[in-house]
Amino acid sequence: MKRRDFLLGGAAVGAVAAAGVVVPLALVFADDDDIAGGIDGVAIEYFERQRVGSLAGLSSGEPQYFDYPLVDQSNIMVDLGDRAIGGIGENRSVVAFSNICTHMGCPVTDYQPEHKVLGPCVCHYTTFDLSKDGRVVLGQATQNLPRLLLESEGDDVFATGVFRLIYGYANNLAGVNVEIASTAQ
Amino acid sequence: MKRTEATQTSGAETDAADPSSVIVPSNSSSVPLPPPDAVTHTTCCEYCPVACGYKVYTWPLSERGGPAANQNALGVDFPTVAISGRWPSENMHSVVRVDGELQNVLVMPDADSQVVNIGGTHSVRGGALAKKLYTEDGPTKERYLRPLLKVDGQHVPISWEMATDLVAELSTYTLDNYDELAWGMKIYSYEYYENVFAGSKLALGAIGTPNYSPHHAPADGDDVPGLSDCGIDAFAPAYADDRAADVLFIAGSDPYETKTVRFTTWQSPSGAPIIYVDPRRTFTAAYAEANDGLHLQLRPGTDTCLYNALAREIISHGWENSAFIDEKTANEDELAAESGWRRQRFGMSFEQYKTYLMGHDDFSLEGAERVTGVPAAKIAQAAKMISGGAGPQPKTMILFEKGVYWSHNYENTASIGSLGVLLGTTGEEGKAVARMGGHQRGGQKGAGYPKDKSPHEFDGHKIEMDTERWFAEGKTRFRWIVGTNWLGAMGGTSALRRKVAELTSMGPAVSSTDPATALQQLKDRIDAGGTVMVHQEIYPNESTSFADIILPAATWGEEDFARNNAERRLRIYEKFMDAPGETRPDWQIFAEVARKMGFEGFDWADSNEIFEEASARSTGGRRDFAALVEKAKADGKRGHDLLREYGTQGLQTPLKLENGELVETVRLHADGKFKSDSGKANFVLSDWDAVAERNDILGPDEAAGEMWVLNGRVNALWNNMFDNVRRTISTDRWPANFLEIHADDAAERGIENGDLLSIESSNVLDQLGEKHTGGFTAVAYITDTVTPGVTFTYFLYPGSPANTITSADTSLQPISLRYNFKLGRGTVTKIGTTGLAETMSFAPRNLPPAV
Repeated sequence: MKRRDFLLGGAAVGAVAAAGVVVPLALVFADDDDIAGGIDGVAIEYFERQRVGSLAGLSSGEPQYFDYPLVDQSNIMVDLGDRAIGGIGENRSVVAFSNICTHMGCPVTDYQPEHKVLGPCVCHYTTFDLSKDGRVVLGQATQNLPRLLLESEGDDVFATGVFRLIYGYANNLAGVNVEIASTAQ
Repeated sequence: MKRTEATQTSGAETDAADPSSVIVPSNSSSVPLPPPDAVTHTTCCEYCPVACGYKVYTWPLSERGGPAANQNALGVDFPTVAISGRWPSENMHSVVRVDGELQNVLVMPDADSQVVNIGGTHSVRGGALAKKLYTEDGPTKERYLRPLLKVDGQHVPISWEMATDLVAELSTYTLDNYDELAWGMKIYSYEYYENVFAGSKLALGAIGTPNYSPHHAPADGDDVPGLSDCGIDAFAPAYADDRAADVLFIAGSDPYETKTVRFTTWQSPSGAPIIYVDPRRTFTAAYAEANDGLHLQLRPGTDTCLYNALAREIISHGWENSAFIDEKTANEDELAAESGWRRQRFGMSFEQYKTYLMGHDDFSLEGAERVTGVPAAKIAQAAKMISGGAGPQPKTMILFEKGVYWSHNYENTASIGSLGVLLGTTGEEGKAVARMGGHQRGGQKGAGYPKDKSPHEFDGHKIEMDTERWFAEGKTRFRWIVGTNWLGAMGGTSALRRKVAELTSMGPAVSSTDPATALQQLKDRIDAGGTVMVHQEIYPNESTSFADIILPAATWGEEDFARNNAERRLRIYEKFMDAPGETRPDWQIFAEVARKMGFEGFDWADSNEIFEEASARSTGGRRDFAALVEKAKADGKRGHDLLREYGTQGLQTPLKLENGELVETVRLHADGKFKSDSGKANFVLSDWDAVAERNDILGPDEAAGEMWVLNGRVNALWNNMFDNVRRTISTDRWPANFLEIHADDAAERGIENGDLLSIESSNVLDQLGEKHTGGFTAVAYITDTVTPGVTFTYFLYPGSPANTITSADTSLQPISLRYNFKLGRGTVTKIGTTGLAETMSFAPRNLPPAV
């Protein structure tokens, strides 16, 4: 089955834990603008829901940083002030992204609130638009910044999944020294 | 690796005992990894002149590498660390056919590289090379796969036998019944030695026509004649010279946007201040200013004045390189003895140069500020920085590209070249005046240009033929377009398009797939005064729709090829996948037609045989690789195979063989010799008054509400976007062409980000110098990159033909017959909205990194 067919079917796969590998709880095709920002054909991976912050805590406009879904998978969460693709909260303005540059893996920490951009990255100067689904404004990344799927319950903000591949990973959860694949003997 | 909170422990629905069942990749955000035994190929990026080295891994779909370093061919543990250069993003992977079987392919920047893209860095263009590859179920399936004949207005498949018969017979018919000048070829100048050699051997050699021009100009010949007339090679330095320099003077080329890795690996890490010359305040301009450099934001069309003002300021303080001028530049007697008419006529001694500069008020600091808009203080500061002022002379790199030479071609290249001569900045580490390059260097021709047959001249001197004027005059009866979107890429393209429509519809329409009938109908077209058009391409474009015959070509990755980059580094570009459908490499098509026309010398068995033959024609030039082929033969190897051994490192040409070993050339002019009869360099006259007159003709008609409409490249897009339009990372960023416009101009016209604009001019000069109207549409992008009165657009966005408003009248550049591509102008009017404001980013593209 082709990836797209699978995703279009909206099928869910059961969670598996084997040899330290965690697979997504569910995969859905990203066709809902409110959830996905309307990016055609890209997978969302739902991971375990985790509380990552509070709406009130973001209201100042200061960004917050946290790891998700794995330790060392660093993310930035910010209230951009205006409606953003994939935003949550009253103004649909709260978004979270991996802040590891999808060009060559340097941390991108220069959030510029006037322009709602993250960057330029210190290594090769890629800049990402946080209001436009992490699109590359200018730079060398071959992929937009992975966006976190967020939801709120009252004042609490939860991350529930990741959209796109995080830098450094061959897939977003499987990683290191895991005995997988037919060639691993 | 552990989860941040509770570990997922739900029961397994798949069999954990089967190792393949725990692999996530096929249905998540993931990239399959190549197993350790994946086949590895060496190649380089297809696009910009920097030409980063790449490795290509292919392996069966049934196999996968693992995340440990010993489980994958990348030799790295996953997750990879920052700057590893070994992380394959999803855009580096595809599935292609290898020997008929579907296989995984990864196209990865070469992390082992010690040259060019050290450590596997890359641009967004090369980083997504995998997405250019032909697949049967993706956007690249739009490739031409079979020869086509236009029958009753529709392209229908025909056989290769019929297609090459028609091309050969129509060519012979044209030559027999008219002459060589009625038979034309327009062909890329860069798409690998083997193809350019074969095509030019047929056109320039066997047929012997001067009706031959490259993809980017109406005439063959030198793109930087003013620099060449200084005696300087346009590609003399190595990238390492950028890093060794004390100061970088970069004009008319945004290195971050368009030569990315040269900027990020060789320029910005040096810490040398950058003096950046550009009418636009781009990222590189902002970077320069934030890092002890300058942005000289000149008015369009005023380069010559600025470079001459810098030279005058240097001379007026005595900051020139007197030792170099005394020893290495020609005096008047030596110039008079030169054999080339241009150098005789425009070459100048230092005294003549000085007299010219001092005699024109526009070259004073105040005069230059008035003309160029650059503050006098900045010009003075720049002059001091590049010359060292009263202190020791710094190592200065003067680098430029199309912003300089695609307007006022001769004068701009003469004035910037002369500035380099004044500083003697050549031949040593960190010193050069050179092009940065537009594309890679593949122009190894198979025959010389028959200038004596050209119908065009300048003041009694034969010059290359203006093939577009000739075409517009209806004198080209057969035209073979190879690998270029001709109708997008020339100037005055509205007029050209109207002419093509007229000339390809004269006489009877082809109404039959019967070879004899089709041939006769096309011959009747020729005799009716029309043109038969053959287009050899990989994808449909604006020009192919007019073609009578389409010849489908194989390309990068589908055949072994070789070419140089902008530091003369010769590498092999290996075949690693099947050419799709019935496509053939260009050289094979040329060879078959040539044989059918009865020409000898086209019996190559493979591309290596052409490479070896071409080496003999490279001798003495900057591409000279005869020594490589000589050594290969001595070692009992094929030329391509020896080059393959050098991988992505390749060899810097010209090459020599000393004691059986290949010796490279890091930079040219290191011997203190220049490209002139005397071996000396010289200054060259750049007639600013002639330029100023032309600016009056080419500049905006302000009474009619026109603004400058400049054009050029942007980071994520490459040329006519033949690959980019089929690549999400590009179209996601640029779903439509854009027009950068200043907030003041936007407000005046009621324009907001994302609005659809009409850009139009009724002052466009066509190929014959007549005025006509042209225009295109683009989306508004409001930015302080441009100043009021100046706009900027991408130059070759499909469906947004920006060259409809650039002039094609070569009488405005009669010495070199180059178009003033960069000096478009037009009115800008809002014609509606697009909805792109919601999804496309309109954030500033010129934010400098924090210092």
